[in-house]
Parts: sequence; C-alpha cells; structure tokens
Amino acid sequence: MTRRSALKLLGLAGTASIFAPHLLGKPAFAKPAEPTGRIVVGLSQEPTVFNPLMAKIEVDDGIHFSVFDALFRVMPDGKFVPNLAAEVPTVENGGLSQDGLQWRVKLREGVKWHDGRPFTAEDVKFTLELIVDPAFRSWRTAGHNLVRDITVVSPTEITWRMSQPFAPYMSFLAETFIVPKHVLEPESDRNKAAFNQAPIGTGAFKWGRRVAGDHIELVANREYHGEGPYVDRLIFKYIPDLMVLYAQFKSGDIDLVGRQYITADNYQEAKTLKGRETVLQPSPMVEGIYLNQERPFFKERAVREAIYAAIDKKSIIDALYYGLPEPVESYMPRGSVYYNHDLPKHEFNIQKAAKLLDEAGWKKGSDGIRVKDGVRLSFNNSTTSGNHLREQAQQFIQQTLREAGVEMKISNLPAAVIWGDFWTLSQFDSVIVGINYLVGSDPDVYNRFHSGAIRAKGGRGSNTAQYSNPEVDKLLEEGARTFDQARRIEIYKQVQARVREDLPYLPMFSENVVRGWKSDIKEVESNSNTRTEAWNAAAWYREA
Amino acid sequence: MARFLFHRFWQSVVLLFIVSLIGFVVLNMIPGGPLSQFALDASMTQEDVDRIARQLGLDRPLLFRYFDWSWKLVQGDWGTSFRDGTPVLHVIGRHLPATLLLMGTSTVISFVLGAWIGIRGATHRYSGFDYAATIGAMVALSIPTFWFGLVGIYIFSLKLGWLPAGNMYTIGDQSLLNYLHHLILPSLVLSLVTVATWSRYIRTAVLDVISQDFIKTARAKGVSERRVLMRHVVGNALLPIIALAGMQVPALLGGALVTETVFTWPGMGRLFLDSLGYSDYPVVMGLLMLSAILTLIGNLLADIVIAVVDPRVRLS
Amino acid sequence: MNSSAVQSRRGTTPVPTPHRWWHGRAVRRFARHRLALIGIFMITALTLVCAVGPYFLPYDSLFIDLRARFAPPFSGLHFLGTDPLGRDQAARLLEAGRISLLVGLLAMLMSTTLGSAVGLVAGYYGGRVGAVLMRLVDAFLAFPSIFLVLALAALLQPSPTMITVIIAVTSWMEVARIVEAEVRSVREREFVLAGRMLGLRGSHIMFREILPNVMGPIIVAATLTIARAILLEAYVSFLGYGIQPPLPSWGNMLNGAQQYLSTAPWLAIVPGLTITIAVTSLNFIGDGLRDALDVRGDHTAG
Repeated sequence: MTRRSALKLLGLAGTASIFAPHLLGKPAFAKPAEPTGRIVVGLSQEPTVFNPLMAKIEVDDGIHFSVFDALFRVMPDGKFVPNLAAEVPTVENGGLSQDGLQWRVKLREGVKWHDGRPFTAEDVKFTLELIVDPAFRSWRTAGHNLVRDITVVSPTEITWRMSQPFAPYMSFLAETFIVPKHVLEPESDRNKAAFNQAPIGTGAFKWGRRVAGDHIELVANREYHGEGPYVDRLIFKYIPDLMVLYAQFKSGDIDLVGRQYITADNYQEAKTLKGRETVLQPSPMVEGIYLNQERPFFKERAVREAIYAAIDKKSIIDALYYGLPEPVESYMPRGSVYYNHDLPKHEFNIQKAAKLLDEAGWKKGSDGIRVKDGVRLSFNNSTTSGNHLREQAQQFIQQTLREAGVEMKISNLPAAVIWGDFWTLSQFDSVIVGINYLVGSDPDVYNRFHSGAIRAKGGRGSNTAQYSNPEVDKLLEEGARTFDQARRIEIYKQVQARVREDLPYLPMFSENVVRGWKSDIKEVESNSNTRTEAWNAAAWYREA
Repeated sequence: MARFLFHRFWQSVVLLFIVSLIGFVVLNMIPGGPLSQFALDASMTQEDVDRIARQLGLDRPLLFRYFDWSWKLVQGDWGTSFRDGTPVLHVIGRHLPATLLLMGTSTVISFVLGAWIGIRGATHRYSGFDYAATIGAMVALSIPTFWFGLVGIYIFSLKLGWLPAGNMYTIGDQSLLNYLHHLILPSLVLSLVTVATWSRYIRTAVLDVISQDFIKTARAKGVSERRVLMRHVVGNALLPIIALAGMQVPALLGGALVTETVFTWPGMGRLFLDSLGYSDYPVVMGLLMLSAILTLIGNLLADIVIAVVDPRVRLS
Repeated sequence: MNSSAVQSRRGTTPVPTPHRWWHGRAVRRFARHRLALIGIFMITALTLVCAVGPYFLPYDSLFIDLRARFAPPFSGLHFLGTDPLGRDQAARLLEAGRISLLVGLLAMLMSTTLGSAVGLVAGYYGGRVGAVLMRLVDAFLAFPSIFLVLALAALLQPSPTMITVIIAVTSWMEVARIVEAEVRSVREREFVLAGRMLGLRGSHIMFREILPNVMGPIIVAATLTIARAILLEAYVSFLGYGIQPPLPSWGNMLNGAQQYLSTAPWLAIVPGLTITIAVTSLNFIGDGLRDALDVRGDHTAG
C-alpha cells in the first residue's frame, strides 16, 4: 500500500465536520430539558466485559458506546464525526500528512471524566499504548501496532506516526474508546483492575451498578460534553431465552429489544402490537453453507452446483424464516457500491441436480445414494446446536437432497466447540454459518478467499472452505493494491462472479433482523457500521 | 466420634482431589474453548487470538495447569473468570443469593406441604386421601421438572396472566411483594420432587410411631393423641429428617439448575450453563468444587446423624 | 422351595404340582399390588405402541411438509398435530419413544452390570479392595451428575450411543452402593462360609452363590434406574446436549417446543405427558417389586 493511496482512502472515508459534536444533527424540539425516565434494553446474551479495550463480543458494545467516547464516531452513512476530537483530521486541516503517516489530532476542551477529573491528551496516549501492551488482554491490535512516537503536544493536542499506511485506521479509531490514565495507570495488573467492574468514562452515561446474571444499570451523565443524554436511566437486561425476551417486550417489561432481536416467527404479531415500532433492518450477515473443498466429492464443481440446485431456498426463506431474509447470490451486502447485481440466480430444480450428477458419473446406488469410484456422496453438515431455525432448515435440506440422491447427515455442536479448531482448521465437511464478510465498508476479502489464507494448510486467515482459485488470488492481490475506486469496483465484482461460479460456499440469504421498541422512544436508528443497537443511546428520548 | 470425623475429613479431601482432577481434565478436553467466541469476529486476527490464549495461560500443558489451579485453590484463590476477569468466588457469590432464595423457599414449602400430607396420610391410613397422596407422590417423582415448569408458565403466565414468566423481579420495582410474586412459580416447581419424597418419608415415620405402645398408653390415659403424636414424631423423626435433608443436597442443586433455566432465574445454575457455554473453565471448576463440597458435607451430616440414631451402625 | 400342595377332597396324600415361577410367593405378592399391575400394563402398552405404532400411522415421522406446519391436534389425520416442519407429531412421538426407551433400557443394563460388579467385588472382598472401590463410588457420587453429563456431552459427539454411555456412567453408583451393602450382610451367611470351606473360588461364590440372593434389590434398583435414565435423557436433550435432530427423542422434542409455547402448546404438552406416563409406570413397578421381593427401603430410594 503506497502512502498516497492510503491517504486517498482515508480521504474517501472521512469528512471533516467542524460543527457537529452531536451524534445526530436533528433539531431538539420535543426533547426534555433534563434527563428523565428510563429505557430498558433487552439482550439475550450477558455483557460481561466493561473495559472497552479488553477482548469482548458484540453484546458488550452497547455498554461501551454509552459509557465511553472515542476520538470519532461513524454514522450510518459511513461518515465520521468527531467525538472526543475537536475535528476529524484530514490533509486539508493539517490533521493528516500528505503521505497519511503523520497524525495530528486536536481534542475537545472542557471534557471531564465521570469522576470529575479533566480529560486530556495523556489519556489518549495511555489508551493507545495500553492496547499494544503485551501483558494486557486487549481486543484487537491491528492498526494500533503500527503507531509510533505518540507525543502529547498539549492537553488538547496529540500527534503520532504510523510506521506504514493503514487505510482502515480511521474506522478502527471510531471503535477505540478512550480510558482514563489516572485510574488505570496506577494498577499493577490492568487485567484485574477494579475499573473493569466499575468503569469510568467520558460518555453520556455513567456506570450505575450491575446485578450479575440479571441487568446492568447506567445513569445519565448530566455534564456530558455532547448532545444528550435525555433519559435518566439506561438499563441493559439479560434474558437468555428469546421467547421470554419477546414476551417481555410484548408485556412492556422491556422497552427496546437488543441482540438477538425478535425471532422471525414473532414478526407478524410484533407488527400488530399497539404502542410498538417494529422494523426490519438489513444486517450485513450473509448465511451460507460452507463446503470443505478438500473433501473428494466437493472437489467437483458439478457436485457443488448440483447440491445448490437441490436446495429449495425459496421455501426455506418463506416458510421457515417467514419471508424475512433476502435471497442472495453474493457475500457482499446489497447496499454496498461493490455489489454485483448480475450474478446468476439460484433455481431449485431437482431434475437438473440429478442430471448434473448423472453426467458427472455419480450413479444412484441401491440405497438411493449416489456412488462414484466407490465413494458415496454422503457428508456431514454442522451448525450451532440450539439454533432452531437452522436445525429446521438442515432437516428440510436433508430431505430435498435425498431426492437427488445425496446423503447429508446432521451433526450439530455447541457454539464453543464448533467455532474452535473444527471451524478454523477446516475439520468439517460442511457448515451452515452466517458471516459478515467485510470489516467496516472495505470490500477486501483476501482473508476469506485467498489461497494463502487457509490455516489448515499453514496459511493465515479465515479461508476455512479451503478455496483456491489462482485467478481469484490475482484479483484479490490487485484489489488490495488499487486505490482507484472504479477499478476496485470492477475487480471485486469479478471476484464475486468467480466465487459464485465456483461455489466454495452456497449462498443462502442476507439476514434482516427484526428490531422492536416502544413507540414513544425517539431517535432510534440502525447503524450497520457498528455492532450494537445502542450506539446512539445518548440521543434517545421518550416523548412525554 | 472424633476419630470418625478426622477419618472422614481426610477421605473427603481425597475425594475432592479426585473429583477436581476428573472435572478439570474433562473440561479442558472439550474441543473449542473460551476463544471460540471470537472465531467469527472479522476484525480479530489469529495473532490476537493466540495472544489472548497465552495471556489466559491456555498454552501451558494440561497437568501443569491443573497443579497450578489446585495449588492456588488450597490457598483460597479460586481463579478469575475468563469472561469478566473477576475472582471466581466473587462471581459465584453474586449468583449465590438467588439460588439460596429459591432453594430455601422451596425447602420450606416442601417441608410444610410434605409434613402435612405425610401426617394426614399416616393418621388416615388407607383413606382416599392416603391413596391419592401415594399415587400423587409417585407421579410427582416421574414428572420432568423442566416440563412441569413449562406447563406452569403456560397456564399461569401465558394463559391466565396471574404470574410472571421469569426473572427474580421487575426492574424498578424492588418491593417484597414483587419478589414474592416472581418467587411463587419457580419455588413450587422446584419443590415438586422434594414434596413427594418428604411426604412419603414422614408418612412412614409417623406410622412407625403410631404403632408403638406409648401411643396406646397415652390414648388410654386420655392425653390428646395429637399432642403425643407430634411430640414423639418430632422427637424420633427429627434426626433422620436431617439425615434425609443432607442427602437431598445434590438433588436440590440439580433441580435448581433445571428451574433456573426455565424461569430465567439469575442463580448458580444459570451461571453454570452460561459458563459451560462460553468454556469459562475457572467458573465451571469453581461451581463444581462448591457443589462437591456441599454434597460431601450433606452426606457427612447424614452419616453422623444416622450413626447417632442407630448405634448399631458402625462408623467405618 | 415354593411348591404348592394340592389337597384332594378325600384327604389322600397331597400331590405336589410342578413348581411354576408364577406361583412363587414374590410373584403373587406383586400381583396383589394394583399399582404395579397398572404400571406393567402402561409400560407394555407404551412400548408396543412405540415399536409397531409407526407402521399403522398414515404419516411418516421424517416427512417434512412445509404447508402443514403447526397444525393443532386432530387436523385431518394428524392426531397430535404437526411440528414446525410439518411432520406428524404422533409419528415422531412414537419414533422418539423407541429411542428414549431404548436409551433408558440400555443405560440401565450397562449401569446395573457395572454397579453390581463393583458392589459384588467390594462387598465380598472387603478390606482394602472394598474401601478403594467404595471411595471411587463416593467420588463419582460427589460429582453433581448434571455436571458430568453436560460436560461429557459437550466433550463427546452426542450420538444415542454416547448419551447412553454417559447416562450409564452417572447412574451406576447407586446400584453399587446397594449391592455392596447387601453383599456385606450376606457374606457371613452359612452357605457362603460353606462354599469357602469347600474351597470354591471367590468368583464362583460371588456370582453363583451370592448374586442370586441379592437379585432382589438389584432388580428394584434397575427398574428405578430406567426411570431415572429416561428423565436424564429428556433433560440433557432438552438443554440441547443430548440426542440431536433429526433423530427425535422425547427430550429434544421439548427443546424445540419451548419457544412456541404460546402459539403451539401441544408441541410441549404431548411429549412431556408421555415421559410422565412412562416414568410413572416404571416407578409403580419398582414400588411393587420392592414390596414383593421384600426389599428394605433405602433412605435414598425414590
């Protein structure tokens, strides 16, 4: 990656917004003057990590976005707005050098931590250094490990140098929350600091208390430097069972449904509930069936195409998922500028599947299962046990595949088991999995489809299907070097076309999640650039 | 007696050691582990995952980790949770009150209810009530507790709307009434099996006492039969009841796990399932040791009591 | 020992009728126990229905019909309704019964065999051997069984065989305890001492002499073990760690049913009711056997 090109990408991604410290620039008509009331967010997994720099999962984000601030925030449209920074650094305003390596960030004045102490550039330096501290159990270090020479010029100005250009760093910073130096530095073991159970941030909400296994209560920070908050109490309630979660939404115990949202079978009823808003929100997750390319039968494209043709995608989507998801042929989110609209559409046709297999030499044996050279066309399919909708889809697919003479056996595993070596080292036959292929909005999928990304063969990455196509490899390598967007679009559309042709995984659908909240809660918006529904809880308010 | 206790203490220590070793090995052999939750996170690289594995100490050999863990355990350090970094004892301590509340309430209910049914059945032997109680007890022991809970939720919560479908209390309302409202269904469900056991036991105990001579004497003397009955039943049956209670501990722990699952109750059973799901080994091992210790104490109590009551039993 | 003599009316010498086992005292006592008879009837009926019923039902338990999802009981020929994939509940219930009952039976056989063997050896030899074995039993008993079952199920691939093994591994201790206690009391009886004086081998004495005399408690424990095994399988499958779909078991039918409790309650009610019926009948039988075989109740029974 050259410096010029990285810079261009940074410029593309960021927009300087000098006048918008708000999270949403809407006029404040009906908003209460003082934070009042309370909003209860229901979650089906329990947040347990409260230090935003430590290894965490999606559900922990809701708390971090509310208790902490980052240098910038990313809006639903992909634009960056300053949060703790006074402005988004660009080449024009001197925040970035021409080659994209020198950063100079100006910080907001008058920001206070929840304990009253002032926020300064020292805190930013401490945060960036803590992340790459080898003794600290941090979440991800990509990008941060390229930062050198962090210098505190003044309490409101900080500079550093990147050792090499790294385009996504702006969006990484938008998820890097700043932690207080004066609280964490004195601790000898930051992994076990008291701060981790009672975090202190600069965000719109202060830490209230946690009732383990039940809920977490956040309290409004009345001295918040940005817009809001408008509610006095923000409560994240843990309800492990999705049915009970929905029941409590229906009964009003919960005001807003968080992950894993409302199940598809409740959507119709949820739409009719009085006093509730129910909305279908596209998610970047694409559900597909990964086929391990090193299995003898999966090496033949005819087999993969035949299996694809023997899956009744439409019935699965319409009947099992109540019509909520969108069928797709590509891994790219449909809203992306890189999305390829011209991919061949799936057709459910068992005769065609049978013909393909016959022509490839797979003849039906006495038990109805096809055989070729002594190998039976029989394989395992796995997914997370307990995921009822997927289990139902599996059994339905099993039935239609059998009609085509293919035997698919079901062997599900608990989440902690299936996503271990079984997945990462390609020990499976086939897996049904929902994946978000992109990091941020960048179309680079080297990690997923390049032959150098196969861990089972000694590579580095997540090409767990062990897909290897030299043409695709070349395209991916070129795409990572190119910064001309028109050329990039061309390249990545070709990648999608090749992948669709080769079918290393069978694309099923793109999820639409069902979000619900009480109608009197305003300013609830979805943001596919973040992983939580509570990314803008500071702007929420309840209409009187 | 002292020798017996001394003996038992050391036996228990050995047992705990065996239990912990088997548990630790089994747990750590489960494929996957606490890092699988990051597997689908596109922004985490393999280096990040490896680093975290190192920081959690998971890259060291199994037996080494076991000795490290058990050595710390004896000194009072039960380890820290992989998920939120708090000491395991704190984590368990946070969830303990909820389970104790549930177990305590259900024990009280099952004792009171069981005693009433048992005494009534014994004093009105072979009546319709007695027969119904016996059959009822056996059916109660056959009903899967979790299914009973589901049916209870269906009838009393979904259809009739009288009782809440889960949780310990409604957020924002921490009144005693609210707590009780949420406590009714789970504790009744949990006490299902114990009521049956208690009622049958107490019935037998009362029958034993009734058939004895001093009752007939008391009757002849005109003393209120009830008072004599109660005094002697209590006197004779009390210690064995403690023994029985001691032996119920593992069943109660298991039952609590089931009930907490169905009723979204934030107790230790819920903690166990969640931790198992996330492969949070330190917490799972901590819970295992805790329940093993409780079980051993329960058994010990029961054995002591039995020995006291029946001198023929050798304390070996 | 139990021959019945028939007195002829005219007072001639009594002619002993050949001894049939169903004339035995134990059997007659059992037959008087009404509940036990009901239990036998219920469990036999249930087993028969599960074994042959599927052949008589109009629908196959595997056939997925997405147009007939969530049909309530008595819709057309779906007597017990359909599940979320449109499969006939009745057919699935019986199919599941085969698996659940089989798992229960095999788990019982395994654990009873293991437990009896351990108990016999420990009780007969006593001393060091006995103490070590019984400590092992205690160690396993100190394990909360749920933990062992769940952890093992997470460790090993959950197939019906594995589940059976796991349930057996957590159930043999009770039998071992009971058998050991019984053997210890029988050990000092005359026929055992006689055998020893005759120079019979230990194993011969154990299996030929002692075992038949402790069969009573073993049989009672065995019956109750099947009951426990069925409940345990149901619970583990309900939690998702047991028998995996598409194989039906009563437990995993309940696992899928919890989320549809308000819209399709029959999905949860029917399998649970069936489990209750099966386990109740086994408990009745166990109770009857306990009375008939004159077995003293254990505190831990039930």
